[in-house]
Parts: sequence; structure tokens; C-alpha cells
Amino acid sequence: MYLNIKSTKENTFDAIVVGSGMTGGFAAKELTEKGMKVLMIERGKEIKHVQDYDTAMKQPWEIEHRGKTTLVSAEERWANSRFWGLGSEEVVNHLTNDKENPYVEKRPFDWIRAYHTGGKSMHWGRQSYRWNKQDFEANAKEGIGIDWPIRYEDLEPWYTHVEKFVGVSGQKEGLDVLPDGHFLPPMPLFAPEAYFKKVMFDKFNRPVTVGRVANLTQPQAIHTELGRASCQYRNKCARGCPYGGYYSSLSGAIPAAVRTKRLTMLHDSIVAEIIYDDKKNKAVGVRVINQLTNAVTDYFSKIIFLNAGSINTAALMLNSKSSRFPNGFGNDSDQVGRNLMDHQLGAGATAMIEGFEDDYVYGQRPNALYIPRFRNWGNDKQTAYLRGFGYQGGASREGWNRGVAADGFGGDFKENLTKPGAWTISIGGFGEVLPDPNNRMYLDPDKKDKWGVPLIVFDAAFSDNDRAIRKDIVASAVEMLETAGFKNVTPYDRPTHLGLGIHDMGTARMGRDPKTSVLNSFNQVHDSKNVFVTDGAAMASASCVNPSITYMALTARAVDYAVKSLKKKEL
Amino acid sequence: MNRREVIKSVALMFGGTLSTPTLMAMNHWEQATTPTTNVAAFGLTVTQQKIVAEVAEMIIPKTNTVGAKDVGVPAFIEMMLKDCYLSSDHQRFMEGLTSLEQLKFLELNEAERRGAIKMLEQQTKEQMKTPSKTVPFWRLMKELTLLGYFTSEAGIKASFEYIQIPGKLENIKLKPNQKSYAY
Repeated sequence: MYLNIKSTKENTFDAIVVGSGMTGGFAAKELTEKGMKVLMIERGKEIKHVQDYDTAMKQPWEIEHRGKTTLVSAEERWANSRFWGLGSEEVVNHLTNDKENPYVEKRPFDWIRAYHTGGKSMHWGRQSYRWNKQDFEANAKEGIGIDWPIRYEDLEPWYTHVEKFVGVSGQKEGLDVLPDGHFLPPMPLFAPEAYFKKVMFDKFNRPVTVGRVANLTQPQAIHTELGRASCQYRNKCARGCPYGGYYSSLSGAIPAAVRTKRLTMLHDSIVAEIIYDDKKNKAVGVRVINQLTNAVTDYFSKIIFLNAGSINTAALMLNSKSSRFPNGFGNDSDQVGRNLMDHQLGAGATAMIEGFEDDYVYGQRPNALYIPRFRNWGNDKQTAYLRGFGYQGGASREGWNRGVAADGFGGDFKENLTKPGAWTISIGGFGEVLPDPNNRMYLDPDKKDKWGVPLIVFDAAFSDNDRAIRKDIVASAVEMLETAGFKNVTPYDRPTHLGLGIHDMGTARMGRDPKTSVLNSFNQVHDSKNVFVTDGAAMASASCVNPSITYMALTARAVDYAVKSLKKKEL
Repeated sequence: MNRREVIKSVALMFGGTLSTPTLMAMNHWEQATTPTTNVAAFGLTVTQQKIVAEVAEMIIPKTNTVGAKDVGVPAFIEMMLKDCYLSSDHQRFMEGLTSLEQLKFLELNEAERRGAIKMLEQQTKEQMKTPSKTVPFWRLMKELTLLGYFTSEAGIKASFEYIQIPGKLENIKLKPNQKSYAY
């Protein structure tokens, strides 16, 4: 291949970061702040913080279809619209057009994607929980998957580092199951939730706390200096927040990286391959296809961070074949693309609450209550399954839409709907999914996308353990709501596939042994140590808590290690 | 008051000062597109359109505040059916609508119309007991009428205390006859 030396020089950086989402943004911030010249490569279009949040300030009547998914959206976003509300005009233009970016479902997988600056960090649920000690130890103790090569203590300072920067609102509870973090003031529980909390503690000894959420309840200098302001309690976060009230790559990490003047960003640039130099025995850069022009350009760097999201990171590795790595980059173990995990979502229970008629709320809480895992914890031992689940949910007063199912019409009916209705409550489980090498994604041997990159095939499904957890999610939700004395307790269990939790992870897991894992304890690819994978792909198990803050902590820790190693000339 | 003044006065009311991001947001808000107008094209006949309008107005009549017709609910329903619903939904909707047409609904007096709708309501309750991917005419009519009305500008402002930017979150005690907040 002909290489233009001048352009090689221009295209050379200290570090390349593939992806600009939750972990890519954080990697770029950490690397640039440590003096690295960074190229961050985003496959999707550019979105500018604030000015490109085109629906953020729209009033309800300015959203043409008022939150409903149109037939056009449902067809174009056939996968994204499987998730509640993601087909709505409020957000749909910031989610990937699945028709233009198809994938193959050997078994169904709900792949939710957001190809643009900041990726899914623009849309995330913002729930931010530390893993507990047992989350890191359970695989080894129970003989599931492989042992994590790190423990809670390894990650603890990095959790703090991330929480300070991100800004997490939460209540300290002193629980082993849900370690406290560095918190901004908590948001309030509502009156019936406070009652529920008390009953759950009295009757079950189960704690209930307000969600730990990456919204600024009391911005600190570290936030305001980036232009972020307090949460305005509009609860329209998914549209993008013009106040920077919640954390995203767009509101936090990218502005921090830009501030160093050491960040270069590419958009519309699909990283198709990692370039491996067989003479140097190392990865030297990446090959990029411009999604608009199809132009192919190579970029080079000393270290590479893969943060394309678990699925795309694994796909990129699988698509990068060299004589050293004939089965895909870093794939000596054949574990790349395997052990695909997610969290279970869409099961729980709802109920009506009598009383509290005088209690109401001003503002919209972009948050929920949280019930930490209580199964297979402490003295609880389940025979039907390993691990457990947590609940998110909350109470609210019914609005006008209670009229849809109610009898009646006319003047009094209309007048009644202008007043707050009864309190209702809903809790839904987030269940841990176990790693299974047969749950996997791989590259289609024949089908390619319009850029000539192989399509991704999903072949994964929930296991018996997962189903047993799900059954208990529903049963325990009913039991708790009934015990609280709530009425019309109604279980729900929406049929879902893996993927709908939007917590896809595990496709390039960390481990101690290169024979059974892809990454070492600092997220370095075994046998290609200048390449780091710090998105969800790195996870050796899933816990049941929302993962983003753990991904970011792993990222910050890996960057610290990478830069120190570079300075010691070890990479 | 223009939008900028509204947002400012809301902020002042709650003792907030306007941060840079707020001002940026306000500028963006002013640049936001105006509501689009929709041409009905779902294929209702003039008579069917009139029935839809009359039924919507029966659900949300004009009282001392605006009613369904005032805020454009009939056209909204047709647009939503066309843009967001499958032909199987259309079919089920048309079944109910056609039955009202056959009943010569528009020629009925007010009491007769009320009687017809009450009957429809009871029928619908029975039908809803059978699980189905589509919903009966009355249920969809009611859903779209309420959605169209309570999310329209005049409907929201007449019905609720509309607050675009709460700026804070607080447990409060409900005052007698207090309207819901809408955001």
C-alpha cells in the first residue's frame, strides 16, 4: 500500500479513541487532561451541545404526533422503536436509522443505537450505582464465567473520580449491597414513597432509597466551569438538556477535552479496522471510512482506546484480521463477541394508592426510587437462581390520561381531568444476566453494509437462570406492593429480548488468563497491550445495577495506567 | 408577552437567576419551529369527519373553557390515524364510525346522541375484555380526543397550570380545587 509520509505525520496522534459516547468521551477527557494529543473518532453525525438539541425546548403542542411513534419512524427505526418512546419525535432523530444500518437477528436482539456525538450518553437513564464487593467476587465463588481480575478496591478511587466529575445526586445509606459514593444532595422521595420505604424496612428489612442519578442538584465548580447548570426538573432529559443539567459526553467529557486544546474530533467516520503491523508486532492505528464520501483514511497513534460500545467494539475487533490475529484482533481466546449480557427490563408490578390526597409535587423528578438487591444477599438464599435484581420505580398522581380507560364524557368529565388523580406506584426490576459463551454476536460471512463492512449477527437469548430471576421480579414486586397495602396490584411482564435493557456488555471480557479472556486487569488487549477496551465489552459479569458509572471508572483507571506506561516507555 | 418574557417571568417567579445555559436555551427556544399545520388525508368522508368532530366535542365539550373542536381535535384525530396507526387499526375505527353513520348520528337530537354514545361505551367495555391488537372505535376516539385536547396549547393553558421550566422539585400540599401542573 502506498503511504504518503506527510499525511501519515498529520494523521498521527498520541492516542486514538474510537467512539465518543459514555466511555469514549471519558477516555478522551482523561487522556487529553494528562497531556495526550487525542483523535476521537465518531461514526455518526456531529451534534453540538445545546444548539443541536432541536426538540429540547419544544412545548407539548409543538411535538406534532405528541409522543406517538409514526409509521415512518417505526419502519426506519425498527429496532430503536422497540424501546418505550424512542420512536417519538422528541428523540427519534437522535437515534440510529436501523433501516440504513441493518443487523441480522439469528435470535432476536433489541439493539438500541445512537450514532452521533456523545452516542447513547445523550439518552441514558442516568442511574449511577457503584458495584458492590460481591459483584466482583461472585463469578469465582460460584464458578460462573471467569473471575474478574480486579476487585472493588481497585475501582473505588476511580468511582469517586468519576462521580465528582459527572455529578451524581444520591442519598448515603451505608449499605454493603449498594456502596455509597460521592454524592450531590439527594432528590426527595414523594409522600407515598416515603411511606412505602418505611413499610418495606419494617416488614422486610429491605431498604428503599431515592435513585442515584447523574443530574446536578447542586452544581459544583467542576460542573459550572464547563457551562453546566442545575437540573431544572423538566424531566425531558432524553431530548438533550440545554442546561447541561444531566451528564453526557456532550455536556461534560467532550467540553473538558476540548478545553485542553489537545482533542481532534472526526465525525461520520466509521472505524472499519485496527491496523496491526506484523513487523512491529503491535497495533499502529485504525482504518476509517467516511460514511458520506466512502473515502478511506488511515490514522496512527501510540495507544488506541476502543469505546465504540460493546457490540461495535467487538465487531471492529472481529473485522480486524492480520497474520498475527487471523480470527480477529485480540481474539486468540475466541471470546470476542461471546458472553453477551444485558439486564432484564420490563417486568414488575403497578398499584393504586389510597390516601395522600393532599400530597402533590411541584416539578418533574428525572429520577426514581431504588430498591437494592435483596435476593441471594445476606441471609437470603434462593434455590431457583443465582444472583438477583434491583427495582426502579416511583409514585405519581394520575394525569388526564386516566380518562382514556374511565367511563364518562362531557363537561364534568372534562373538568375532573384537570385535577390530579389518585396516586399510583410502579416498580420494575433490573435483573442480572449471567455470562454464557453461547450468547454471542459475530460478523455475517456474506452480508455487508453499504460501506462494505460485514453486518453483525446476534445469536443470544435469556437463560433458565434469567427467566427464574424474572419470575421472582414479578412475584416480589406484587408481594411488596400488596404488603404496603396498595390496591389493584397488577403484575406486568412485557416479552422482551436481550438488548432492551440497553446495557449490552461482555463481548471482550477482562480476565486473568489470555486463554479465556480478551483483556487483562487494566483493560489491555492480551498480546497487544497498546490497545485498551474500556466500554461495556470489558465486563466479565453484569451485576444488576446500571453500568455506565462502572464503565467510566474502568476507563479512567485504564487511561491512568496507559499514560503512566507510555511515560515509562512500556507501551 | 412573548416567549422570552414568559420564560423570564417564570424564572423570576421562582427566584431563579438565569444562568448562561438558560439564556442559551431561551435563544434556542425562540428559534424553535412553529407548530406545523396538518392536512387531513386519512380518507374520512365529510359526513364521517362531522361525526368524529361531534363525538370529540361530546367527550370534551366547550364549557367555560375551550372544547375539542375549538382546539382542532377533529383534524388531529384524522392526522394521527393516518400517520401513526396501521390499516388494521383503521379498519376497527371505521367499523365503529360506520355504525354511527348508519345510525344517522348527525340527525339525532342531543339526548339521542348521548344515549347512543353511552351504549357504545358499554359495548366497548365488553369488547375490551377480549385481548386484541386493535382497540375499538370508542376507546381510540377517546384516547385521541384527550391526547389532542390536553396537549394542545389552548387545551393545556385552559386546563392546567402550565409550567415549562419548573426549576425546582418539591413535595407540596394540594390547595383546594388546585389544577394539575402540566409541563
